[in-house]
Amino acid sequence: MKPDDTERGHSPWGDAWHRLRRNRAAFAGAILLLVLALACAAGPLFSQSYEGQNLDLGAVPPSSQHWLGTDILGRDLLARTLYGGRISLMVGLVATFVALAIGVTYGAVAGYAGGKVDAFMMRVVDILYALPFAIFVILLMVFFGRNIFLLFFAIGAVEWLTMARIVRGQVLSIKRMEFIEAARALGLGRRRIIFRHVIPNVLGPVIVYTSLTIPAVMLLESFLSFLGLGVQAPMSSWGVLIKDGSEKMEEFWWLLVFPGALFFLTLLSLNLLGDGLRDALDVRASKD
Amino acid sequence: MIRFVAQRLLQTIPVVWVIVTATFFMLRFVPGGPFTAERAVTPEIMRNLEAHYGLNKPLYRQYLDYCGSILRGDLGPSFKYPTRTVNEIIAEKLPVSVELGLWSLGVALCAGLPLGLLAAVKRNTWVDYLCSSASMVGICIPTFVMGPLLILVFSIHFGWFNASGWYGPVDRVLPSLTLGSVYAAYVARLTRGGMLEVLSQDFIRTARAKGATEARILLKHALRGGLAPVVSFLGPAIAGIVTGSFVIESIFQIPGIGREFVNSAFNRDYTLVLGTVVLYAGFLIGMNLVVDIVQVWLNPKLKFE
Repeated sequence: MKPDDTERGHSPWGDAWHRLRRNRAAFAGAILLLVLALACAAGPLFSQSYEGQNLDLGAVPPSSQHWLGTDILGRDLLARTLYGGRISLMVGLVATFVALAIGVTYGAVAGYAGGKVDAFMMRVVDILYALPFAIFVILLMVFFGRNIFLLFFAIGAVEWLTMARIVRGQVLSIKRMEFIEAARALGLGRRRIIFRHVIPNVLGPVIVYTSLTIPAVMLLESFLSFLGLGVQAPMSSWGVLIKDGSEKMEEFWWLLVFPGALFFLTLLSLNLLGDGLRDALDVRASKD
Repeated sequence: MIRFVAQRLLQTIPVVWVIVTATFFMLRFVPGGPFTAERAVTPEIMRNLEAHYGLNKPLYRQYLDYCGSILRGDLGPSFKYPTRTVNEIIAEKLPVSVELGLWSLGVALCAGLPLGLLAAVKRNTWVDYLCSSASMVGICIPTFVMGPLLILVFSIHFGWFNASGWYGPVDRVLPSLTLGSVYAAYVARLTRGGMLEVLSQDFIRTARAKGATEARILLKHALRGGLAPVVSFLGPAIAGIVTGSFVIESIFQIPGIGREFVNSAFNRDYTLVLGTVVLYAGFLIGMNLVVDIVQVWLNPKLKFE
């Protein structure tokens, strides 16, 4: 990081924030994400019921009454899309958090332990990489039934591998630094050193990778919903809506186009934000 | 290099073994068997079925039998398609997926490489912004949105293609575009990133100082190094592409292996699940080996460890 010529010093985090704010694409992504998240969180409170059926109004095109039209059962598509977005975003956040918790802990322990433990733990990751994840999740879902909490866990359980690799690499280089030596000399326990001293120093790459994991997780969730293994009726998610829409698109194009567009915008905003974070936190440079 | 390859191949044996073992036992702990979904059969028939497939033997015995037959290259009989073996199913369905995969790969490279190169050369101009935006859009459109949209526009609205099926050459177009576009987007992004990194290095400045033309610098000096990230990405990606995409194959009704992959898990078709898992793992491990070899060839600084 270059020192600034103003008199006050800048913290690395302050620098990163400054860079992020100047990145127009990332900033636009952040705003878009905020708007979408707010709409999904608050929208269903004001709009029509996502469950309310009105068979007289089956599959009407967008109108002033139903802005995005209705589905076959006469349910308001806007309400269903916003409500589905709630579930999709929630799955994205919670499952990413699960992946984050597993991946960071696993990677930090492997990197910090080093030697044979590290070699063994990373070998396990290599093997898991070679397993087709879809089969893994499908088996989990078929095994335990189609339950949304399991969905969080199942997705988190397959998405932690890359995180573990990244964290391990970082920890390997950090643990040779003097302040870790000092912590050890002070007689701190292993767990305390890992969680209080090592992990805070790998936050940069973890934040960046987290922001890129959320869209990946949301894609996986929608893929599972597409298979019928994800969110179950009467709940819905963008994956469910897109699947329903693609089956009926010949007559009722809006059922596919609107949920698809909202899903696309969300993935786009997350990816733009993730790219911006990577540039702002300068992850590549700090890796070497 | 031969030693390197031999060593790597030896290392894959325990990996494949662990994968087979883990999948085998995981499948057996899933409640329900391959015959429970069917209408109720009398206990006698059930016993006969189980005896026929060896399911009445103790689990460890079944496992050893399976390992033995895998070593002979026999993936066993399918449970869901009673008259067929897993080998036959793979032999029939895999070529379809491979063909679709190769077309998609063609789309990915033909669209992705030029877009990425152009973006890198014209860095921070409107050309770059256009190419980069296009690839970002490609990354953010899931295949199960892209596929139906293409059908909606080109099959239903314009009527140029069949909405589904896998008969004539025309039927290859929409599925390959759908599957290829995502990979094209990633290839473009990685090409741009890799090229930008190489183009800022000293040896490029030297080449420029010696009066090499821009085209020569780009194609002769920079491309080799700039492609490294693309190659790393393509290895696992190719393994995934040619072993079939469930989404694409269901949307376009293509009789490929990707659909069997998912359906076999639903059907508890033990041997077919194992067969497809082994197939995928084998492809993945093989492609990773190819990637490592190509990386050394692209970057003389690397050596075979």
